[in-house]
Amino acid sequence: MPIHDQSYRHYGGLKAVAGRSWLVIAGAGIWTFLRRRVFMGLMLFALAPFVVRAVQFWISANYPQVAVLGPSAETFRQFLEQQSFFVFVITVYVGAGLIANDRRANALQIYLSKPLMRSEYILGKLAVLFTFLIAITLVPSLLLLMLKVMFDGSFAFLTNNLFLIPAITIGALLQVLLASFTMLALSSLSKSARYVGILYVGITFFTNAIYGVLYLITGSSRVSWISIGANLEQVVDVIFRLKPRYATPWQVSLLVILALVAVSISVLERRVRGVEVVT
Amino acid sequence: MDAAAIPAPIVAAEHVSKWYGQVIGLNDVSVVVPPGVTGLLGPNGAGKSTFMKLITGQLKPSKGTITVLGEPIWRNPKIYFHVGFCPEQDAFYERMTGLEWVRALVRLNGLTDKEADEAAQRALAAVDLMEAAGKKIGAYSKGMRQRVKMAQALVHDPKLLILDEPLSGMDPIGRRKTIRLIREWGRAGKSIIVSSHILHEIESMTSNILLINNGRILAEGDVHHIRDLIDTHPHTVYVRAQDPRRIAREFLDNPEDDVRSMRFEPGAVVVETGKPDAFYARVTRMAASGEFGTIDEVTSPDDNLQAVFQYLVK
Amino acid sequence: MADPKSPGYVSSAMRVFDLSVSEMLWSRRTIFMALVVGAPVLISMFLRLLDALGAPVFRVNGMQMAGPAIFGLMIWVFYLRFTIPVLGVFYGTSLIADEVEDKTITYLFTRPIPKGAVLLGKYLAYMACTVFVVLPSVVIVYLCIVPMRGSLGGSFIDLVKDLFLLAIGLAVYGAVFAVIGARFKRPLLVGLIFIFGWEQMALAFPGYLKKFTVAYYLQALVPHAMPNDTVVSLIQGIFHENPSLPEALFWLSAILLSFLWFAAVSVERKEYVLEQ
Repeated sequence: MPIHDQSYRHYGGLKAVAGRSWLVIAGAGIWTFLRRRVFMGLMLFALAPFVVRAVQFWISANYPQVAVLGPSAETFRQFLEQQSFFVFVITVYVGAGLIANDRRANALQIYLSKPLMRSEYILGKLAVLFTFLIAITLVPSLLLLMLKVMFDGSFAFLTNNLFLIPAITIGALLQVLLASFTMLALSSLSKSARYVGILYVGITFFTNAIYGVLYLITGSSRVSWISIGANLEQVVDVIFRLKPRYATPWQVSLLVILALVAVSISVLERRVRGVEVVT
Repeated sequence: MDAAAIPAPIVAAEHVSKWYGQVIGLNDVSVVVPPGVTGLLGPNGAGKSTFMKLITGQLKPSKGTITVLGEPIWRNPKIYFHVGFCPEQDAFYERMTGLEWVRALVRLNGLTDKEADEAAQRALAAVDLMEAAGKKIGAYSKGMRQRVKMAQALVHDPKLLILDEPLSGMDPIGRRKTIRLIREWGRAGKSIIVSSHILHEIESMTSNILLINNGRILAEGDVHHIRDLIDTHPHTVYVRAQDPRRIAREFLDNPEDDVRSMRFEPGAVVVETGKPDAFYARVTRMAASGEFGTIDEVTSPDDNLQAVFQYLVK
Repeated sequence: MADPKSPGYVSSAMRVFDLSVSEMLWSRRTIFMALVVGAPVLISMFLRLLDALGAPVFRVNGMQMAGPAIFGLMIWVFYLRFTIPVLGVFYGTSLIADEVEDKTITYLFTRPIPKGAVLLGKYLAYMACTVFVVLPSVVIVYLCIVPMRGSLGGSFIDLVKDLFLLAIGLAVYGAVFAVIGARFKRPLLVGLIFIFGWEQMALAFPGYLKKFTVAYYLQALVPHAMPNDTVVSLIQGIFHENPSLPEALFWLSAILLSFLWFAAVSVERKEYVLEQ
């Protein structure tokens, strides 16, 4: 026909398989942060300990005089512990506004009015924080292991410490999932990212402070289960086959961590809804 | 007209530009707003809010100068004795009652507690909110919230009121009341700058407009005068008559270079003319002569703000 | 045009204080603050109960801890290292930011008062809210803990010193974080890095770096011994040095006044673009 129809046309192309919408949310979220120079600077700064460790490994491999600097299994545990500060900072920076900003802009209802399940929305948001945290914990840890092998020129270290691969993986995942779920749950509670950030800080340091007081008063670290950080340290110590640093049984610490994750999931399930009942 | 007779402008902007990073909010705007009621008009994203924020001292111009009531407004808190601002955003201290809120704000003008209380009550009475003065703002309807915002703007009896979308969210009765109030304040000697993108509302408040689009001022002054100056769009004149075809024949038989096109509507002929004054004079002569039957109505459907807006903006 | 008489700077600040204090007190932040200061109260009551029931909770290495020592520990670990800095960050960074986020800042900035007076008024409201919540919590903890193998009268002077130092701590940290809130886009993170990063590190190193912290001067006012409960505090203990009391008070006052002034100037000059 000579005159073409200029009105609206329905999309007739291919559609993605259902259940992959979370990738869109995750991708958009990750890209938003990657475009910020300050954030990229922070990520690079968070990888500084990795660089320091890599240099340490190289020196110890190439200069026998300083073989004392050579890494052991504990070195990888220490690396993960050092990264916990950056995990904290990036969790606050990235995670505080993930759901809070959507609630503030009334975007939750828009999201959930699309053919998108709540679980996909939560998964997408979780993936944003998860990606960045993994990038400063699991990825550099495994890279360090690889560098150790490369600098040594042999697999001896790896074969002698084969448990390191699952230990690093599980330890890092535990650290990251705990931070991610907790922060996401807090983010779903408020419309103010700032308030969420301070809540997260409060919970982290508050529990540490309570444990600190009780430890000093009782002289016993059996009450370390009160501190979220202490629980994580305890469990990761055990994963790395190190002597647990607290008197609390590691099973109790693991239970506390799992309970926290379960509570976070429950909060998310209640708070992430497409409708809001106003009374 | 000598300089003494020209009223001093309430707002004067000279080569004002404002940019946010790479985005230009206002682009080399030079404009003078006279006393009286002025409507600031423009589509969304035109620069109305930026202009409002500049003249209320919330933003500083990136370039150029702005004076309000003869003085610069940026970092000049004393000027707010004479300026009252009703912002667009729906934001309050929700836990306070209307009276408490207005009273607390007017206390910042230096009034004593007693004076502040009296002024707050007067302001709330002026916006018809005295009955709900003791209720928490959080329980107010949208129209009441708008009115309490206006109350805080006029509580200290300022010379200049700046109202950003004051009718937003109001029901038709509320709109009528507010428009009436604005006209009353204008008649009482206050200068008012009202911003809106609803044309007929501005039209019902004032004929003096400031039209803005894409960060530039498109036109300022009386809406009819502006219309006259828009040469590229011929005026449309609607002539309702007993015998419209006879009138149309006369236009065709005796062209006087003032009729560009014609069309018929039931009982009327609609003419486009590039010389409206000459055309009106001609129609008046035709009506007076009686040769062409009775002419019942001569109106110009586009001698209004809607037409001005469409012709200049689109 | 003749201007009416405007209220002075301090008077304007007091009027903003009147407007802000009830808003601040009844906000969600106060729930957080109540939890933070309520926990040591609950813990102290619980410990008192345990002690009354004869539970061996206060034995460290076979030695029984006395109430005043426990109170001193709680002041250090809970209030000085956690509550005061965290409340300072929480409130100080939000003095103006809360109003901007809620979009009510327009009403305050279009009144004939200096913008700096708005900041000062909000700061005073923050002080009122925090001091009148935190200090009573300290007193309750004192009343619960100290009588355990201690004397209320004997430790009273220490209590007064603690209340004074905590009030100063709130004031100084509030002023520092008011500047951070006024200058930075992510004031919370910057504040946290300052407290838990910079201050901890600077106090652990010998030399003059520690003089660029608030904690260095504040710790000089503490009448109790510093506990060595963590590696960081152990290291800090090794390099621990105290300025004299007059020097500490002087520098704390100087920090308070200069940062408040700087915060007021920053707010005067900054443009606040509200979210559309």
